[in-house]
Amino acid sequence: MGASKKRKAVTRDVEEEAGVFSGDELNANDLDGALSDNANDLSDSEDDGSDSEIDLVDEFSDEDEDDEELDSDEVPSDDEDLVKKTKTTATKAVVLDRTSEDQDENSSDDEMPNFRIEKDANGNDRYVYDEINPDDNSDYSEVDENANTIGDIPLSFYDQYPHIGYSINGKKIMRPAKGEALDALLDSIEIPKGWTGLTDPSTGKPLELSQDELELLKKIQLNEIPQEGYNPYEPTVEWFTSKQEVMPLSAAPEPKRRFVPSKHEAKRVMKIVKAIREGRILPYKPPTEDQEADQYVAKYDLWADEAERPDHPMHVPAPKLPPPGYEESYHPPPEYLPDKKERKEWEETDPEDREKDFLANDFGSLRKVPGYETFVKEKFERCLDLYLAPRVRRSKLNIDPESLLPKLPSPEELKPFPTTCATVFRGHKGRVRSLSVDPSGVWLATGGDDGTVRVWELLTGRQLWSVKVSDEEAVNVVRWRPGKEAVVLAAASGDDIFLAVPPIVDPETEKASLELLDAGWGYAAPNPALSAADANKTTTPPQWIRPSSTLTEAGVCAVIPLKYVVKSISWHRRGDYFVTVCPGSSTPASVAISIHTVSKHLTQFPFRRRIKGGGPPQTAHFHPSKPILFVANQRTIRAYDLSRQLLVKILQPGARWISSFDIHPTSSTASGGDNVIIGSYDRRLLWHDVDLSARPYKTLRYHKKAIRAVKFHPGGRYPLFADASDDGSLQIFHGSVTGDMLSNASIVPLKVLKGHKITGELGVLDLDWHPREAWCVSAGADGTCRLWM
Amino acid sequence: MGKIKKKGTSGQAKNYITRTQAVRKLQISLPDFRRLCIFKGIFPREPRSKKKASKTATPSTTFYYTRDIQYLLHEPLLRKFREQKTVAKKIARSLGRGEVGDAARLEKNHAPKLSLDHVIKERYPTFIDALRDLDDALSLLFLFANLPSTAHVPPKTIALCQRLCHEFQHYLITTNSLRKSFLSIKGIYYQATIQGQDIMWLVPYRFVQRVNGDVDYRIMATFVDFYTTLLGFVNYRLYSSIGIMYPPKFDTRSDENGAELAAFTLEGRKIGETPKAIEAGSGTKTNGAANKEVSREIQAKVDKVIKSAGLDQVKDGESTEKTTEENTEEIDRFEPTAPEADTLPQPDLSGNEAGSLFSPFIFYISREAPRAPLEFILRAFGCKAIGWDAVLGDGAFTHDETDPRITHQIVDRPQLPESSLPAIPTKPEDGAGAVQKVRPGTRIPGRTYVQPQWVWDCVNEGKLLRADLYAPGTTLPPHLSPWVKPSKGGYDPRASLAEQEEEGEAELAAELEDEEGDEDSDEEMEDAAETKKIQAAEEEDDDEEDDDDESLNGGMDVAGTDDDESGSEEEEEEEEEDFGGFEEEAASESEDEEEAARSQHQKELEAEAAGLPFSSTNGAAGGASKKKSSQAKKLAAKKRKEEEELDRQKMMMSRKKRKLLEKMIYSNKKTSDEAAKLRSKRRKIEKAAQA
Repeated sequence: MGASKKRKAVTRDVEEEAGVFSGDELNANDLDGALSDNANDLSDSEDDGSDSEIDLVDEFSDEDEDDEELDSDEVPSDDEDLVKKTKTTATKAVVLDRTSEDQDENSSDDEMPNFRIEKDANGNDRYVYDEINPDDNSDYSEVDENANTIGDIPLSFYDQYPHIGYSINGKKIMRPAKGEALDALLDSIEIPKGWTGLTDPSTGKPLELSQDELELLKKIQLNEIPQEGYNPYEPTVEWFTSKQEVMPLSAAPEPKRRFVPSKHEAKRVMKIVKAIREGRILPYKPPTEDQEADQYVAKYDLWADEAERPDHPMHVPAPKLPPPGYEESYHPPPEYLPDKKERKEWEETDPEDREKDFLANDFGSLRKVPGYETFVKEKFERCLDLYLAPRVRRSKLNIDPESLLPKLPSPEELKPFPTTCATVFRGHKGRVRSLSVDPSGVWLATGGDDGTVRVWELLTGRQLWSVKVSDEEAVNVVRWRPGKEAVVLAAASGDDIFLAVPPIVDPETEKASLELLDAGWGYAAPNPALSAADANKTTTPPQWIRPSSTLTEAGVCAVIPLKYVVKSISWHRRGDYFVTVCPGSSTPASVAISIHTVSKHLTQFPFRRRIKGGGPPQTAHFHPSKPILFVANQRTIRAYDLSRQLLVKILQPGARWISSFDIHPTSSTASGGDNVIIGSYDRRLLWHDVDLSARPYKTLRYHKKAIRAVKFHPGGRYPLFADASDDGSLQIFHGSVTGDMLSNASIVPLKVLKGHKITGELGVLDLDWHPREAWCVSAGADGTCRLWM
Repeated sequence: MGKIKKKGTSGQAKNYITRTQAVRKLQISLPDFRRLCIFKGIFPREPRSKKKASKTATPSTTFYYTRDIQYLLHEPLLRKFREQKTVAKKIARSLGRGEVGDAARLEKNHAPKLSLDHVIKERYPTFIDALRDLDDALSLLFLFANLPSTAHVPPKTIALCQRLCHEFQHYLITTNSLRKSFLSIKGIYYQATIQGQDIMWLVPYRFVQRVNGDVDYRIMATFVDFYTTLLGFVNYRLYSSIGIMYPPKFDTRSDENGAELAAFTLEGRKIGETPKAIEAGSGTKTNGAANKEVSREIQAKVDKVIKSAGLDQVKDGESTEKTTEENTEEIDRFEPTAPEADTLPQPDLSGNEAGSLFSPFIFYISREAPRAPLEFILRAFGCKAIGWDAVLGDGAFTHDETDPRITHQIVDRPQLPESSLPAIPTKPEDGAGAVQKVRPGTRIPGRTYVQPQWVWDCVNEGKLLRADLYAPGTTLPPHLSPWVKPSKGGYDPRASLAEQEEEGEAELAAELEDEEGDEDSDEEMEDAAETKKIQAAEEEDDDEEDDDDESLNGGMDVAGTDDDESGSEEEEEEEEEDFGGFEEEAASESEDEEEAARSQHQKELEAEAAGLPFSSTNGAAGGASKKKSSQAKKLAAKKRKEEEELDRQKMMMSRKKRKLLEKMIYSNKKTSDEAAKLRSKRRKIEKAAQA
């Protein structure tokens, strides 16, 4: 649409501007110089350019002057070039022709004047000649009648006129209508077909190419022959066709070679034949049987240059089949033969679920053995397994399960330990608070709520001696002095400590014991002075006093009044010292722990201040070999070096309230004092390895109620320890300690001993071991003591 | 922070490839892939986490190791497979066109031949590797060697398998490297030790194998292809390692006559050496008819052998002792002197010992005994000359049963009274070449008659056993597998019951029986008794028949043989006395008595230990039950105690360890239960035997 519109517009423009010289105004707008040049060019390009002005004038002037003109031309006054000259000659010839024609016309229209006489503006005659109509054969057909004839004059001279010059006929060439700016814009936008953007200088119109010209250009562009009407795709004319003609073009007969065998081929065949004859080529022969069989025979050593390949973890060789067992024998032992039930069971199970794929069978002798039915199938399945079954490496557990169990001493090794109640000691009214087995292992001393201290024969349970040390106070603790040369019993009841020599032993020992206790009285003399000196600043150490006569008769030798309730007594291994603890919360810290020297009847208070962290002190024990005192308060146990007066170690068992503890005695395998067991009211039994850590090595919670007492077997003969609990039971453990620093103690629970009745929430209050045998004695709240063996 | 890894680009997802993926990657068909896997020994893997390895949710996918499949990409066999495929197409096309000749030509000449040499080298880089994997190869090839030819199994394959197996057997014979053998229900197991590798294989008994429908012979054939190549190379290597030419000469004619092993002749490889012909090779020359034409050389050899054998027979034990004493390089056998000492393991018998086991003897295999395994095993253990009945095929040392050089005859037929046997018409001796017929059932003096099991038991024990226990017609001692090692808690049929019983088990069992009533055992015993009765009846019948026969016959011909026999028997007896090994005829009875006495003593001791007067164990029945119940209680208490102890120990273990322990206890319990079951069975059987 647009294009057609454009074309329409263009055609209209062309029509409209047929007489309009738009190109000129471009030139007019140009510089003068350029314009003049243009004019020059124009004049050059025109046939009768610049110099023909005169000629024309001459022409107009007179025809007869033609020769003259020629002459003048022949003798050119100014320096015109040859081209010009030839041109002029050409024009001359033209002019000559024209004149001749004119003459002809003139001759034909002799009478008819070829002009009209008109009146000009002044009223004078004016000859108006008809326009000359040249013939078709005229060479002047090309002459543009509208060409400007102004010659070499700049167009600017005509600026003030409406025309821009004159045509060859002397007609004014009107200035082409000056396009408005809008028109110019429109022209520039709507580029008509054939628009070149150039101006035809001769017409002053924009130079446009015609349709033919455009097509010509296009063909040149496409490298085609520009000639009109040339067809590059002319239909081919088959001069020689593939069709067999009825009458062939060539009548030559079939050549002979078509019927004669090729000599060349024969030559080549002969070559091969010769080679075969000479044996250079062997003709193909199908392989014989032997050869075929031969190809399966190995002919070389495949592993001649074997090199081991490193094993790859992903390479899993096929597992070998397990060797046959006894039951697979053709004549197995009779016990391998299945009975009816087993046979039925085997037959009823699905073949895939069977544990074994065959049933044992006894054939008796080899000749009776039949072929195995599923042999081929079995081998086939093995083949399938080899290439279809995923192989997985499994580490087979081929360990003896026993080896996994912790290395425990065998039960035989653990023996003996107390298992049964052998003797029951009855006599105390109310609870038996404390008991102790004497170092010789013959007697048992007990103290109870009834305020009596009793001594029994251990094995028989016969009461040998009894003394009522206090009427209202209970006997809290009784302890034998270690060592066999003297028999001294320390008992604490209320605020007092009684040292007694029970009259049960042979006279010599009794005498030695009495002497031991009496030896201290001599030292009593300086004591008052000391006490007097110390009286004002600290609490005075108590004076040892002689007991009342009734008690003396009974065997009590000395009384130590401590003013506070003593709950714990512990002897030093040599028997010269013992430590007592008064755990009562009202007790001043300085007097809570006291050490008594038997030989000097001396009482000392080694601690001035309260032990830090965890309430009043509970119990204290001496180290079995070193001058170290272990003191327990409610939460911690502290070890003090007595000779250097230093704190050596703090044990933190993590219990809330320590009830008792015991130190491992020196045994054959380990030095004593390295291990401590602690019982607590919060049901814990704790084993401490002193060198290992401040924390417990093992925490055992086998009791349902508070643990009252713990005790190692003394003397280190048996690696046993026991605890007594309020749940009325004793528990016996095996706890062997080695001298090796690397191996830990092995603790084995052995036995729970039950027998004591729980009275008033209390069960077993104290226990002690026999010094040599694996027997233990327990004191119950039910008023009995029991010997376990 | 590192770059976020994309899923499925590393680890298990990349290391494993499903079968379908593998087949696609290799661009072959599934059956070809299968074959390739068999040849190359590629097997599926079990990824540690199937979920990680698989890209799909399909639960049962087969995974292969990606690397394996990658290696397969360069496999030359793949090209061969493709060539085979094209040829198969051509053949199919020509068959479709009806050009049978063309198809046959294509198949014959253009079918590409697979060569598996490189695969074998690749799979077994060293010879030892190949030996290690020979178990399955031998088992399958021996099976194929015994298969009948069918459409699936061409006779060529069978012949090849037979040849390879025989070659391998020949190697074992020459090197005496067979160690053990076992007659099982399924077949005969053999174990050989070659270059320190134990190789065990199973050979089926010679019966036509029953084939079910669900056996794919193509797969088996693929395996056989591979194994034949492997065994071929292994044989080559083995033969060349002992300086024998490979392949050995194979006599087709004697093979057709059933010579089997004897159809091969082994020759030394070096030219300078005189060909080291094996006895069997020379044996091929001796045919049944031309028996007397034994070359002088062999005769001399045999004579020597007999001489030595005779010597050995006189003082069998001594000579063997001597040989062991002479070998100073051998490891001395250490016997613990005290019962509680540990026993250290010692290596088994060496080739020398194996080679000398049967070397002094000449065997004769009766018609009914399996020749092939016997021949193989006897020769592998040093026997140089074996004769057999002409029915059994070629290659025997002699087919003449009456040959006086024969020392042992292997018989596997029931002992029938003479009269029941058909009499052989006494033919006048036609000529020197005629084989003297022996009346079946008669015994030729001067030789030991044994059942085949004797050979196997001797081999497994590594020494000659008492032959009288294996005499024809006797009930054989049970044949035991030589590979079962006595394990803790397991049942050992060799040991006596008392040795391996748990404490108090016997008493408990006895008590149980008493309490429960003897229903089961009664039944069983009845069954046993019945069967026994039947057997006895049969025997009686036989006896009667014999008697009848005798009475009927009562004739001359029998008498003649009788005379012979009586004379020979005397000789035999004398010899046996000289032999010294077999004098205890009533050995079994006396042994039984001893056993009983020992068990009695044991019981007494146990009773004593339990603190009971031992008379009570034997004594009154009224008291016994009471005692037994108390014993049971004791046992129960003990068991409970043990359990408590175990619980106590378990208390000290971590949970993980405890679980492990329980697992192990479970498996141990299984074996011990099994053992207990076997023991109880044996107890019953022994009891029945006593009663």
